[in-house]
Amino acid sequence: MSERAPAAPIDLKAEVRRAFAPNANAANDAGATTSDLSIDEELNLHSIGWEPVELVSGVSLFSIPYGSWNWGQGEIATASVAHERAFRGAITRLHHEAARAGGHGVVGVHIERVVHATHVEVALVGTAVRPVGAKTISFDAVFVSDLSARDFTLLMIAGWEPLGLATGASFVFAPRRSMGTVLQQQTQNVELTNFTEAMYSARESAMERMQRAALDLHGTGVVEVKVVEGPTRFAMHAVGFVAWGTVVRLAKAEHQMIQPMMVVPLNDAKVDFDAATLA
Amino acid sequence: MSNSTNDLPQATEHRLEELEKGLFTSDLSVNEFLLIKEVGFHPVGFVMGSSIYHTGIQARKWSQSQELTKLTEAMYNARELAMTRMEEEAAELGADGVVGVRLDVNYYEWGKDAAEFIAVGTAVKAEDGVSRLNKAGKPFTSDLSGQDFWTLSQTGYAPQGLVMGTCVYHIAHRGLGQTLSTTGQNVELPNFTQALYEARELAMTRMQDEANELGASGIVGVRLEEKSHQWGSHTIEFLAIGTAVTKSAEDVTLTKPVTIISLDN
Amino acid sequence: MAGPTSDLPEAAQRRLTSGAFSSGLSVSDFAACLEMGLEPVGLVQGFCAMQVANYAMGGYTMGGFAQGMTPAGAQGGYVQNYQCPHGMISAEHRMWGQNYQQTWIESAWRDGFNSAYRRMIEEAQALGAHGVLGVVDSVAPLSDTGVVEYHLTGTAVTILDGPAATSDVWSTYLAGQRLAKVFEAGYAPVSIIAAVASIRVWASCVTEYLMEGTNFGWSNTGEPTEIDQIVSAQTNARDIARARARANLHGDALHGASLEVATREFSRGDLQIESRLRGNRIRRFKDFDPLAVPKPTVRLS
Repeated sequence: MSERAPAAPIDLKAEVRRAFAPNANAANDAGATTSDLSIDEELNLHSIGWEPVELVSGVSLFSIPYGSWNWGQGEIATASVAHERAFRGAITRLHHEAARAGGHGVVGVHIERVVHATHVEVALVGTAVRPVGAKTISFDAVFVSDLSARDFTLLMIAGWEPLGLATGASFVFAPRRSMGTVLQQQTQNVELTNFTEAMYSARESAMERMQRAALDLHGTGVVEVKVVEGPTRFAMHAVGFVAWGTVVRLAKAEHQMIQPMMVVPLNDAKVDFDAATLA
Repeated sequence: MSNSTNDLPQATEHRLEELEKGLFTSDLSVNEFLLIKEVGFHPVGFVMGSSIYHTGIQARKWSQSQELTKLTEAMYNARELAMTRMEEEAAELGADGVVGVRLDVNYYEWGKDAAEFIAVGTAVKAEDGVSRLNKAGKPFTSDLSGQDFWTLSQTGYAPQGLVMGTCVYHIAHRGLGQTLSTTGQNVELPNFTQALYEARELAMTRMQDEANELGASGIVGVRLEEKSHQWGSHTIEFLAIGTAVTKSAEDVTLTKPVTIISLDN
Repeated sequence: MAGPTSDLPEAAQRRLTSGAFSSGLSVSDFAACLEMGLEPVGLVQGFCAMQVANYAMGGYTMGGFAQGMTPAGAQGGYVQNYQCPHGMISAEHRMWGQNYQQTWIESAWRDGFNSAYRRMIEEAQALGAHGVLGVVDSVAPLSDTGVVEYHLTGTAVTILDGPAATSDVWSTYLAGQRLAKVFEAGYAPVSIIAAVASIRVWASCVTEYLMEGTNFGWSNTGEPTEIDQIVSAQTNARDIARARARANLHGDALHGASLEVATREFSRGDLQIESRLRGNRIRRFKDFDPLAVPKPTVRLS
């Protein structure tokens, strides 16, 4: 949580009147920037000397060859590859748009990721940002992250910098028919070791691919890792594991402690009564 | 399962190797990451353990309220296996503990008699090099968030381990005669009351036993979860879960928190 | 921008000239208004129902525009053609595919939205307001009739002790503390901005086969392949909406924008993509003066 340190008190009413006075114009104008950041996020960015530049997006679709989902064993390599390439394609386009707009990175990326039976679709939207007045950099030096502008600010204050998004995915066949037979033969409640290993491996694979992507970016860590797993909507016997997170690296010599203050808010928590919970 | 001193599958080895070389992964939010650093810990790696367990078999008497001990054992073992594997991954990384542990149960297409039990969390290591392993010589586990971990440290207490007690209880069906005789009345149902009472007590006692084994002085963040999973509405699993803690430092004086009124809605 | 006030229904005239104000603001938004020295003077709204040529599902029965002769092409809008690389195969094999911008849908949207906006502003002018905040817009089809309704509402406000109201009424989607912080940061709201792009995709044979996941050798070698035609359509849908919004900024900034894209699939690979960008046009009135780094806190709740 961050709250603004009390600055010199502003006379808000005077400011509003001034805003609409006939010749109100600043020396440096807003510069045709577009951004989907809220005012809080923008203020956070400004406090570390960064500014939003442009709303950018990147999209990619990759096909999954016919028959990939028919029942089989082990990993569904084509689906995993399609997922990885779709993600990579979308991120690369985002890099290019951001660099063209003069951004050094993209924050608050909203990730829309859909796996259909025949293709994987990834659409990304975020705001390109840069240190105030900085020069354009090449597209491969741009970072992309789904961290909010606020989290980006906190990381930077602590001396870390984001390098990019690392993702890893793996799709496997859940052991289905064989599982049914085994279950019928079971008379005890025990662990089903073969199946454990299959699911385990798939999960580990996804994480491992994400890690490798992080190492490729020369990062020392990955934060805010999200793991999404479950059967695909269209093929219940196929299970997908997808992991992604933001790759980071220490930018300063060492981690800077942030020394937070403990606060006790005096607002009452909002209590909603829901009829269903009274049953 | 395969290899070496633990029973983690092959695929895990590669992943852990990369983490040991210095890359850290964590599912902590940025807030939690920074707060962990504040109290002298560094994230080492995202760790997980899972087990696919068969949990269907136990005879039960329709008209009797009883604990279904075989199912209790199964649920307990399955979670233990998942947690143990997660702890093994953490130990392999040389971690002192695991924070933000989440326990989930997944049911897949193979039916209601088997489920996958998963434990995930972020392994952390103390930066001062002093070991924080618990009384059992294993990395501590806790389901405390980064914020709660930081707050707990301010009070001079340290987590020892996630402790759980579980009890799968079958609640007797009421006979038709009984049901009809009380139709339309407000009446306590002694069957239900007794059953639920006993089941909850069993679960909580078992949880406390685990805490005692770890030499803990208390348990924080206790939750009691009740689920029917896939067994139908008369069979319920009661799971009591919390983090066992011990005093780690001499008396600490807490800085007085600042009171604020937020103007945001 | 200001049209004749006879455009408004008679009921509106009556409501606006009565004394007490009504507003869609919550209690805290209302308090924030007073903090900013803005006095709510009434709830204002604008409405417009448009008939759109082919808005309903099913699409244009074009039977195939010859390449380059689409209305979009004629107006210089986005058009992209995709030739079949396979040569004559069969009557069912598509000879070509096309992406094109549905400029007629976009202008209908623009007209409908602008009419509704203009009427809302007129109501605000009738109240002598300086601006409209907390704007809520909705665009919804009216059942299956091919009619689309545009509806905008907001709270009209006057600036206490401010200059006299002009015909230049400002507007913003923001309200409450968010708006207060915008002023504190040195920005003044100018107007809401909404831009739309509508792209139709007629799949080429390659696209159709990739979307079906076919592996007859027409489309791919069994490798995942990027579906260029649709990527291009999706990218252009977003680019066009953004370019349109930027053209309306005249050097000001677009703040708090939201970009929504909806894709409707009529049959394999035949899509309609609509992207909608909405945001607040704001202008600097005060030099850039960044705040100090915020102090992090941990909340004990």
